[in-house]
Amino acid sequence: MPSSKKIDRRIWEHPILEFKRGKEVRFYFEGEEMKGYEGESIAVALYASGIDIFSWTEDNRPRGAFCMIGKCSSCFMVVNGIPNVRTCREPVRDGLRIERQRGLPDIPRVTRDEEGLESKTLETDFLVIGAGPAGLSAALKAAEYGLDVILVEDHFRLGGQLVKQTHKFFGSKDLFGGLRGFQIAEELSKKVSSNPKIKVFLETLAYGVFKDLTIGLASKKGHYKVKAKNILFSTGAYENYLAFPGNDLPGVMGAGGAQTLMNEYGIRPGDKVLTIGAGNVGLIVSYQLLQAGAKVKAIVEAMPQIGGWVVHAAKVRRYGIPIYTRHTIKEVWGNNRVEGATIVQVDEKWQPVPGTEKDIDCDLVIISVGLTPDTKLLAQTGAKMKWIPELGGLVALRTKYMETTVPGVFVAGDAKGIEEATTAIVEGKIAALTAVLRVLGHVDKAVEERRQLVQYLEQYRQSPLLSRSRRGIEKATIES
Amino acid sequence: MIMKSELIIIGGGIVGLYSAYFLAEKGFNDILILEKSYLGSGSTFRCATGIRASFTTEEHIVLLKESINLWKKLSRELGFYYEQGGYIWLFRNEEQLKAFTEFSKLHNKFGVPTRIISVDEIVEKVPMINTEGLVGGLFDPIAGKASPFQAVFSLENALKDKGVKIRTLTRVKKIIAENGRIKGVETDSGTFEADKVLIAAGYGSRELAKTINVDLPLNNVPHHALVTEKFKEAFKPLLIDWTYSAYIVQVQHGNFLMGMDIEEKPQQPLYQRVDFIPKMARVATRLFPWMRNVNVLRYWTGYYVMSPDRHPIIGPVEEVDGLYIATGFSGHGFMMAPIAGEVVSEWIVDGKPKYRVAENLTLRRIKEGKFIHEKAVFG
Ligand SMILES: Cc1cc2nc3c(=O)[nH]c(=O)nc-3n(C[C@H](O)[C@H](O)[C@H](O)COP(=O)(O)OP(=O)(O)OC[C@H]3O[C@@H](n4cnc5c(N)ncnc54)[C@H](O)[C@@H]3O)c2cc1C
Ligand SMILES: Cc1cc2nc3c(=O)[nH]c(=O)nc-3n(C[C@H](O)[C@H](O)[C@H](O)COP(=O)(O)OP(=O)(O)OC[C@H]3O[C@@H](n4cnc5c(N)ncnc54)[C@H](O)[C@@H]3O)c2cc1C
Ligand code: FES
Repeated sequence: MPSSKKIDRRIWEHPILEFKRGKEVRFYFEGEEMKGYEGESIAVALYASGIDIFSWTEDNRPRGAFCMIGKCSSCFMVVNGIPNVRTCREPVRDGLRIERQRGLPDIPRVTRDEEGLESKTLETDFLVIGAGPAGLSAALKAAEYGLDVILVEDHFRLGGQLVKQTHKFFGSKDLFGGLRGFQIAEELSKKVSSNPKIKVFLETLAYGVFKDLTIGLASKKGHYKVKAKNILFSTGAYENYLAFPGNDLPGVMGAGGAQTLMNEYGIRPGDKVLTIGAGNVGLIVSYQLLQAGAKVKAIVEAMPQIGGWVVHAAKVRRYGIPIYTRHTIKEVWGNNRVEGATIVQVDEKWQPVPGTEKDIDCDLVIISVGLTPDTKLLAQTGAKMKWIPELGGLVALRTKYMETTVPGVFVAGDAKGIEEATTAIVEGKIAALTAVLRVLGHVDKAVEERRQLVQYLEQYRQSPLLSRSRRGIEKATIES
Repeated sequence: MIMKSELIIIGGGIVGLYSAYFLAEKGFNDILILEKSYLGSGSTFRCATGIRASFTTEEHIVLLKESINLWKKLSRELGFYYEQGGYIWLFRNEEQLKAFTEFSKLHNKFGVPTRIISVDEIVEKVPMINTEGLVGGLFDPIAGKASPFQAVFSLENALKDKGVKIRTLTRVKKIIAENGRIKGVETDSGTFEADKVLIAAGYGSRELAKTINVDLPLNNVPHHALVTEKFKEAFKPLLIDWTYSAYIVQVQHGNFLMGMDIEEKPQQPLYQRVDFIPKMARVATRLFPWMRNVNVLRYWTGYYVMSPDRHPIIGPVEEVDGLYIATGFSGHGFMMAPIAGEVVSEWIVDGKPKYRVAENLTLRRIKEGKFIHEKAVFG
C-alpha cells in the first residue's frame, strides 16, 4: 500500500551542489513500479519516492533509513526473493523486485548461481581495507613507491565518508585546501582507479582475520584469501546511538544517514528537523539541511555549552535556530514516521527536570552524538586495544608511524580514533610509507617524506581546538 | 583470609553447574564454584545445542535417554528453551545405511525409538532439502535442542537461591592434597579450603589433574562452527550429513548453526581458519542450495575434550580421597550434562550411582584399558 506515489524528495536546486543523476531505472516495490537513478542505492531510491518504512520487526515496529552506510541493518529488505539485503548498499537496477520484511524473513526463495564464482588466493605487499580518505591516500602512496596494493571497499563506490562532506577544506594545496570533501574524494578515486599498481575490489567485504593474518574477502563475484606483507585497517567509524522511547521510528536518523541522503544523493531527508547534539557534525548537518531546503526547528545539547566550533554555531544561529543547551530528547512519537518529539531540560546530574518539557513539531530527528571507531576487524589481529574516550572508544595502540602492536598491521583515519579527513589522509600516507620501508628496506626519500608528514600532523594537532583528540592520540601512541 | 567449603567445583560450564544443582537438590549445598572466566565461557557457549540418545553403546544410550528426561523436566521447571525436534542422520551410501540399521536396533533395545526413513520421509520433515545423492536417513524422534545461554543463566539463578556460591574470574592454579586427602585449591586470588574437589573444568581438566599427579588421557581438539542470520522456522530436526561429519540445526531464535570436522591437531590454540567457512558452505549449500543467499554472522572455535574411547570420565578418583572428575565428554557434554550432574551427585552423596552403567565411566576403566568405544561422534 505505498500511498506515496507522487512524493519526490529529490533536491533539484541546491545553493552549492549539483547532483549528477545517472540513467533512469524502473523497479518494483511491492508490485508497484517506481523509478530511481543509476548510482543510487535501493534504500535511497525508495526514500526519495516517499517510502519511510523498510521493514517491521518481530514485534511489529516499523524500521526505516538510519545510518545509510551499511552499518546498522535497519534497511534490510527482500530483493528479488533474497531477504536481509542491506538496501542502502545495494545499487538500484532495472527490474528489481523489492518487498518489505515483516518480522523474521522466510528462507530465500531463490538460489544464486554458483557458476562463475571465483575462489582465489591473492598475495600482495599492501592490503588496504576501507577506501575512505585514509585508505585511498595510503594506496596511492604505496603504489607511488612501487608496492603492489589491493584496496577493498564494501560500498559500490570509493571515497568513504568524504563523498558527503560539502564544506571547503582548510590547509595547503597538497592537502586539498580549498576543495570540498566530495571533490577530494573524486580526485583520489580517479587516481586510484587508473593506477595499475592498485587492484580495487568494490562491493567486497573484508569479513575476517584468520590464522597467520590471512584476510577473507567476500563479494558477489567470489571468495578471496589474501596473504599480505602489510595490512592497513582504514575502516572508518560508525555513529553512536541514544536510548529514548521511539528511537527506532522511521524519521529518526543518524547525522551521517541524513548527510548521505542529502549530500551524496541529493535527497531531502525531512522537512522539519530536530537535531540532537551540538557538536561540529550536528551543527554542520543542521546547516546543510537548511541548504537542502529543510526547516531546522531546534538543536538540543545535553552539555551546558555547545561542543562544536563557534564558527559553525554562528552559522546556524544566523538563521534564528534555537540551540537548547542542558536539554535532551525525552521521546519521539508518530505512527509510521516521526510526527513530533518532546525535549526536556536536564539538571547537573543529567536528570530530566519535570515541567520543562517542550514539544517540537518535526518529521525528522537527527542524532549526532559522536562516532565510534570501527575496529571490530582490526581487533581480530590480536593488536593490543585500549579504551580511550577522547578517541571515541576502543582503539588500537600504535606507533607514530601508525603500526599497531602486531608487526605489519596498520591503522589510520577514524578507525584509529575519531578525527577528520585531513588527518586521515596524512595518516594513510604515513602508514603506507612505513609499509614501503618494511618491504623495500631503507629508502631515503620515504624516510624523509614520512618525517615531514609526522611533523605536519604534530603541528596540525597543536591547535587548541583539537586539544581533546591530541590528548587521546598521546594515550594511544606507543614507542616505535 | 581462607574460605572453607565442603566441595569446590572447578569450572562453571554446563557440567559444573548441573553437578552443583543435583547436589543442592539433595541438600548438599556447601559448594563453591570457581570459574576462571565467566560462566559458560568454555565449550558450553560454543556448542551446537544438540541433545540425543542415538549413540552406539549401552552406557551412552541408557544415560542419555535419562538425560533427555531431565532436560524436559528442568527446562520446564527452570524456564529455559528446550525443544524435542528430533535428529535426522543423512546417508549417502548403502554401507552407512546398513551400519545405522544395526545401531537403530541397539537404540530400540534400550528404549530409544529411532528408525530408518526413506528419502521421501526426509523431504516430508525437511521440505527445502536437496535430496540429490541421499539414500535414506535415521530418524531419532526424541532428540532435540536447548539454549545453552538460557540453561546456564537459569541454573545460575537456581543455584544462588539454593545457597551455592559462585566465583567467576578466579583461576585455579593447583589442587592441594595432604596424605592422599583433598585440602583445597590454590587460585590466582588466594587459597580456598575444601574436603572435596570436583574437576569439571573441560579443556582445563588435564592440566589441573596433573597438579595432583593424576594423569587424565584427554585431548583438547579444536572444532569449528558458524551461525547464520535468522529466519522463520524452516525445519525442526538437527541434520547430520554423515559423509562429511557435518551438522546443521536451526536454533532457538531462527539462526542456522552448523559445523563439520576439519583436520585439527590436539592441544592447539583456538584459531579461526580461512578455509572453514568455504568448506562448510559447500556442504551446507549441497543440502540447501538456497543457503548461497544466506549470510554468516559469526564463526568460532571451541574444544571437544576427547577421551580415548569417546566416553566421559565421571566419578571418584581412587588415589585421592575427595577428588572427583566429570570431563572428557568428547563433543557431547552439553546433552549429557544433566545426567552427568546427577551421577556426580550420587557418587558424592550416596557413594554409588543409581544407574549401573554409570559405574563403567570412572577413570578406572581407562587405567585398566577397558574401553567402551563410541562410534557416533561427528562435527
Ligand atoms: C557519518 C559520518 C559523517 C561525517 N561527517 C563529517 C563532516 O561533515 N565533516 C568532517 O570533516 N568529517 C566528517 N566525518 C568524519 C570523517 O569520517 C572523516 O573525515 C573521514 O572520512 C575519515 O576517513 P577514513 O578513511 O578514516 O574513514 P571513512 O571515510 O569512514 O572510510 C572507511 C571506509 O571503509 C569501508 N569499510 C569499513 N569496513 C570495511 C570492511 N570490513 N571491508 C571493506 N570495506 C570496509 C567503509 O565502507 C568506508 O568506505 C564524518 C564521519 C562519519 C562516519
Ligand atoms: C563447536 C562445538 C559444538 C558442540 N556441539 C555439541 C552439541 O550439539 N551437543 C553437545 O552435547 N555437546 C556439544 N559440544 C560439546 C560441549 O560443548 C561440551 O562437551 C560441554 O560444553 C562440556 O561442558 P563442560 O562444563 O564440561 O566444559 P566447559 O563448558 O568447557 O566448562 C569448563 C569451564 O572450566 C573453566 N576452567 C578451565 N580451567 C579452569 C581453571 N584452571 N580454573 C577455573 N576454571 C577453569 C573454563 O573456563 C570453562 O568455563 C560441542 C562443542 C563444540 C566446540
Ligand atoms: S545498514 Fe542500511 S541504513 Fe544502516
